[in-house]
Order: sequence, then C-alpha cells, then structure tokens
Amino acid sequence: MLGGSVAAFGLFVWAVLMMFTYGLGTTGLMHPNMWGVMIITFVFWIGIGHAGTLISAILFLVRSRWRTGIYRASEAMTVFAVMTALLFPVIHLGRAWQVYWFFPYPNQRQLWVNFKSPLMWDVFAISTYFTVSAVFFYIGLIPDIAIFRDHATGLVKKVYGVLSLGWRGTSRQWHHYMGSYGFFAAFCAPLVLSVHSVVSWDFAMAPTAGWHSTIFPPYFVAGAIFSGCAMVITLLLPMTYIFKWEPYVNLWHFENLAKMCLLTSGILTYAYFMEYFIAWYSQNPYEQAIFIWRANGDYAPQFWGMVFCNCVAPLLWYYRPARTNIYSLMVVSILINIGMWLERFNIVVSSLAHNFDPATWSYYWPTNIEWCILVGSFGWFMMWFLVFCKTFPAVAITEIKEMIPPPLKGKLE
Amino acid sequence: MASHAVARSGVRIKAIYGHLDALLTGIDRLKRGGFKGFQVMAPLPRHEIEEAVWEGRPSPVRWWVLAGALTGMTVGFLLPSLTAMQWPMANPGGKPVVSLPAYAIIMFECTILFGSLFNFTGMIVHCGLPAFFLDESIQDPRVTDASFGIVFTQANAADEAKIKQILQSSGAVEVTTGADTVYEVPNDV
Repeated sequence: MLGGSVAAFGLFVWAVLMMFTYGLGTTGLMHPNMWGVMIITFVFWIGIGHAGTLISAILFLVRSRWRTGIYRASEAMTVFAVMTALLFPVIHLGRAWQVYWFFPYPNQRQLWVNFKSPLMWDVFAISTYFTVSAVFFYIGLIPDIAIFRDHATGLVKKVYGVLSLGWRGTSRQWHHYMGSYGFFAAFCAPLVLSVHSVVSWDFAMAPTAGWHSTIFPPYFVAGAIFSGCAMVITLLLPMTYIFKWEPYVNLWHFENLAKMCLLTSGILTYAYFMEYFIAWYSQNPYEQAIFIWRANGDYAPQFWGMVFCNCVAPLLWYYRPARTNIYSLMVVSILINIGMWLERFNIVVSSLAHNFDPATWSYYWPTNIEWCILVGSFGWFMMWFLVFCKTFPAVAITEIKEMIPPPLKGKLE
Repeated sequence: MASHAVARSGVRIKAIYGHLDALLTGIDRLKRGGFKGFQVMAPLPRHEIEEAVWEGRPSPVRWWVLAGALTGMTVGFLLPSLTAMQWPMANPGGKPVVSLPAYAIIMFECTILFGSLFNFTGMIVHCGLPAFFLDESIQDPRVTDASFGIVFTQANAADEAKIKQILQSSGAVEVTTGADTVYEVPNDV
C-alpha cells in the first residue's frame, strides 16, 4: 500500500515536471477556462481537511464522547489533506519558483500584496489553518509519544524522547496542558468554519455567473464537512479491521459520522436547490443561462453525477441497518468523495466555460497530465497518512484511558 | 520556566500508586502534614488530581492566549493598512485605502494564528518543556502507562521517615528512596 502510494506520488512528480518543462499547454487550460483540475483538486483537499479539526476541536468543546476513538486519525487526515491542498496553488502558478510572491514581505520593488483580494485572504486563511491544525495535532500527540518513548529502546527511544519534549505527566504539566488544549479547541472551532468560507470567496467575490452568491460560504462549509466526514469513513473503516481497532473504533463511531454526512448532505441539497431558485427568482439572464446549461449542457453528466452522489446516495443512510453496515458505509462514502470532486468541477469549470461573452465560450476537459496530478495527489496524501499510522499512535491512547473508569481501591484504612 | 539540570543534594522519595483514590489520600495527607515540594505524576489528566493539587487555580496560559490574540489582531490591522497607505494613489474606483471589511478577514486569521502560537509557547514554558535532561530516576514507565506517582526530588533527610510512612499508609504499592544526586525540577505544590 505504501509502495503504491509512493509510486502514485512519483506519477505526480513526473506530471508536474512535464508541466514545468513544456508549460501550461500540457494541461487543458485555455482562455476563459484558466482554472481547472488543479484548482478543483485544491478545493477538494481543503474540504477533506475540515473533518479532522471539526472532530477534534468542536466535538471536544461539546464533550462528544464518540470523538475519542477517531479524532487522532482524523486530525492526521486533516494535516496531510491540507499539505496536499497546499501543493496545488503552487503548481497551478505555472512558475512555481515565484510562489514567494504570495507572501507580504518588504521587497526591492517596495510592492506589497493586495490585502483586498480574496486570493490573499485565502493565503492567510489556509496558512493559518495549516499551522494551527498542525500545532494542535502535535500538542495532542505529546503525551502519547511519551508512552511510546517509555516502551521503546535505543535510538527509537531517543527520537520519541525528543519528540515528546521530555513529557513526564506531572500534574503541573497536565494543568497547563489542559488549559492550553481548551483554548486551542476554542480557537480552532471558528477557524474550521472560516477556512472554507474564505475559499468560497475566491469564487463568490467575482462577478462571474454561478459564483457571485451569498450562499457560497455556508454551502462550502457544509460541503467540506460532508466530504471530510465521508473521507474519515473511507480511511478508517478498512484500518479498523486491518489493525484490529474494534475495541476503540466501531460502528457506533461510523454511524455518528454517517449522521453528520446526512445532516450536511441535506444542507448541500438545499443549497443546490436555492441556487436554482435564486437564479429564477432574480430574473438575471446570465445566472439563469448558466444554471440551465449546468444541468443540460456539456457538463450535464458531471452535474447529475454530483446530484446522485451528494443528494441521493446518502439518503440510504436514513435507513439504520444501512448506516451500520460496513459495505454500505464504504460504498456511499466513496460515492460522496467522488460527488464532492464533481461538485467543485461543476462550480469551477462550467461558470468559466460559459462566461458573459458567448464569443469566448469553450469546453474544458483535463489532459492526461492533469489526471496524473489528481491521482498523484492521493499518493502523496496516503504516503504521509500510512507513515504516520506506522510510526505514531493513530488512536489517542491518553484520551481512550480517560473514557475508562479510573482504578479505585475502595475504602482505605 | 524550562527546567534546567541543576545538581542538588537531597533525599529522593518516589511512590507508585495503582489506584486513584489511594493517590488522592496520599496527596491529602501530605498536604495536611505540611509537606510541600512534591510532584504528582499521572498517565492522564484527572479533575480529582487537578483539584487536589491546584485547588481551582487556573493556568496562566490563558494570559498568553489573550496577549497573542490581541497582538494578532493588531498586526492583522496594521500590516494591510500601513502597506496600503504607502500607495494612496493606487486607489481605483474611489474605494477606501484602508478597508475594514476586507481587512477584518486578515485580522481574524492573525488573531487565531498569533493566539494559538502564543498559547503553544505559554504551554511549553509553564509545563517546563522541553525537559530532556531531567533525572532518569524520576521518569518511570509505569506513570505513563496505568499507574500514578508522587515524587519528592529533594526532601529534607529529617522528614524522610514521616513522608515514607504517609505514602505507605495511603496505599502506595511501592515506595523507594535514594540519597543520590538528583536534579531540581519545578514543584507542583
């Protein structure tokens, strides 16, 4: 599995090198479709990266017991998904070596970035999200790495010793640790909701038909949580049975994740419907044209695929035996992931392909280089995820202990 | 602050407990006996230990978070505003040079970022981390597994017998002592 992931990432590297060598002409990008698979996949991976922090922070604040078994692996998924997403704006530039132009720094031309641009908000939102999620993830790991240190020997013990920062588990440490952890959760909770809102403004701030909508932030956030929870099911379901995690992760967790998907699927379905309603109700001919074309035009298969995967397939989970059946959980969660990629395809591609001026209309379809980049991104993600599961506690040991009643001696003399 | 390895002479006393209630009894009896300068070690955070040792005092990490959040909010406003004001002529459409609705997003992100990084720093500082050079004898694999511990790193030799008696009578499964050179670590109580 790890070998396959590394091979897929190799494909990514090859495709990106081809693109850098021969230029963006190797992709299907052509005016007016200057955003394609790379932006679609960027938004897809950022969306996947929402479930981990939602589970670790928001469910921590509401003291939800079912988060315990799955939050560590979900957090790892978040960090690696955002790492994957971060690759895409860089390679999408075409001139990746000028990526530092994104950041505000005093340069020789005395120029600064435009902080009124949604793209710059996105740079801040995603770099903040990645940094804070990674630190939050690491803080959660410290006591568990100390357990690994105390059970290891030789060089491995030294490495875990350094990574655990010499954690001893004194009450002084726990006191400040728990104080810190609560604030981290409180800061991460609004961050989860803000990141995809900011990503949605990359689109909604533009006057492009099909993008310029106030429904975008909640619609994107619901979509992100939907795809993230589905990805947690897709990843953890096989791992639970391969690594024999059943005492800690079981159908109770997956059923709750399925319920989260059901809720967010309902919100998404409502948002899809409202987009059409507003296009009709606004009597804006451009809006109406783009929404009619999405359902009937060149990209109708992707549109109806999205509707099936995101609105229809999850309905199966309203039936309790279906959301407690591992096969149904696996199949529907994969369909949701496909559906959410198609949703971003619909948003990004169709609105650009049929812009305001019919003379510029075009048809975008990804080239093999772009498909390789898409497949390779899964390789990069899985490579990190598998290495993490191999070397670090993928189930939060300390928090599992908190679930168990403490050992009591009873009446003392 | 981070604990530095400072050699001190003293009696080291370490007790291991298998049960939470026995540990709490031990802490209570030590406090009532007027003994300070011991550490309690646990494999997990427990409110009972927190209450027994800290008696409701909150962690000062929260002040770090507040300082970080305010710093972040200020930076998030000043960075876009001051850089935009360097180019007051580049102002298409009569839009304001300093635009609060647009900068509110940068301010929010910086508030979260700085607040979290200050939070992490505060946690590291107050926990006394990193602590790579502490006495290995304090570290016991059992207290990151399923047992609890009380450690005196530099008890007075005159108190040794009394402390051992309290620890043993409260239900410690093992009490060990050593007069060897130990290292100063921050005290809990």
